[in-house]
Amino acid sequence: MADDAAAARVDQALAARARHGDRQAFEHLVRRHQGLVRAQLRRLLHGDHSLADDLAQETFLLAWRKLAQFRGDAQFSTWLYRIAYTCFLQARRQPAQRERTEPERMDLLQAPAHGIDLQLDLQRCMGRLSAAEQAVLLHCVQMGLSHDQAAYVLAMPLGTVKTHALRGKAKLKACLAAWRDDDSEETHP
Amino acid sequence: MSDPRQRDLDTLLRREFEGPVADDGFSDRVLRQLPPRRNLRWPLWLGLSVGASAAGLALARTPLLRIGWQDWLAGQLSAAGIGMWLMAMGIAWLVAAWALSATASR
Repeated sequence: MADDAAAARVDQALAARARHGDRQAFEHLVRRHQGLVRAQLRRLLHGDHSLADDLAQETFLLAWRKLAQFRGDAQFSTWLYRIAYTCFLQARRQPAQRERTEPERMDLLQAPAHGIDLQLDLQRCMGRLSAAEQAVLLHCVQMGLSHDQAAYVLAMPLGTVKTHALRGKAKLKACLAAWRDDDSEETHP
Repeated sequence: MSDPRQRDLDTLLRREFEGPVADDGFSDRVLRQLPPRRNLRWPLWLGLSVGASAAGLALARTPLLRIGWQDWLAGQLSAAGIGMWLMAMGIAWLVAAWALSATASR
């Protein structure tokens, strides 16, 4: 928690310097945040690494151009994730990119009655969630943002974020119920 | 206390997330593409001078400018003097606002 606050203060200081044209400060910001921005986009794009990197590059170039608009109301990282998510949504709207950004219909794939691997089953179950539920779980659980931060990134009302998180988790639990039953049988033969 | 199953699911989801991607030259590629930062002050000064020139040209052929200027020098706050300065400032600020918005939208 204290580390997060310290990191946020460093980001604010670097962003203030970058706003006045300090390219080195912006370089630090890129190096500090590229990892998670690219991971976020790779997830949103269902593993399309090249398109994710193109959008990540676009995200940082936009951030550089729009630095004057960053007032420090949100954390710099959250502001970046929001730009990245907007880039993702814009890419999805373009017909040429839509096919690449559309999720695979994992739910149509024939899944074994008992999954060989829990992680694979989890991915299959994630594919059954709506795009909004997937996005909320990605930001809230996997990337560790608070509900407030996720609402800011996804431009959704806070209540909607909480609802999507609850519904998404409930669906995942139901989808993975077979695993829980297996565990109980092993524990209580 | 939260539901242990909920915690299990959260842990499972976090484990499934690969986490930050290694740089592998990505940052360098971004920094090479970075355009030079625009100095946003020049449009303001350009706008102000263009606006002031436009106002001066508009008022040059009317006696208003001369009367206003004479009143101003004489220290008299006449309607012509106030009108002259308000008009000059108005045009200058309009041009400045236009220049700023045109630069920001690029």
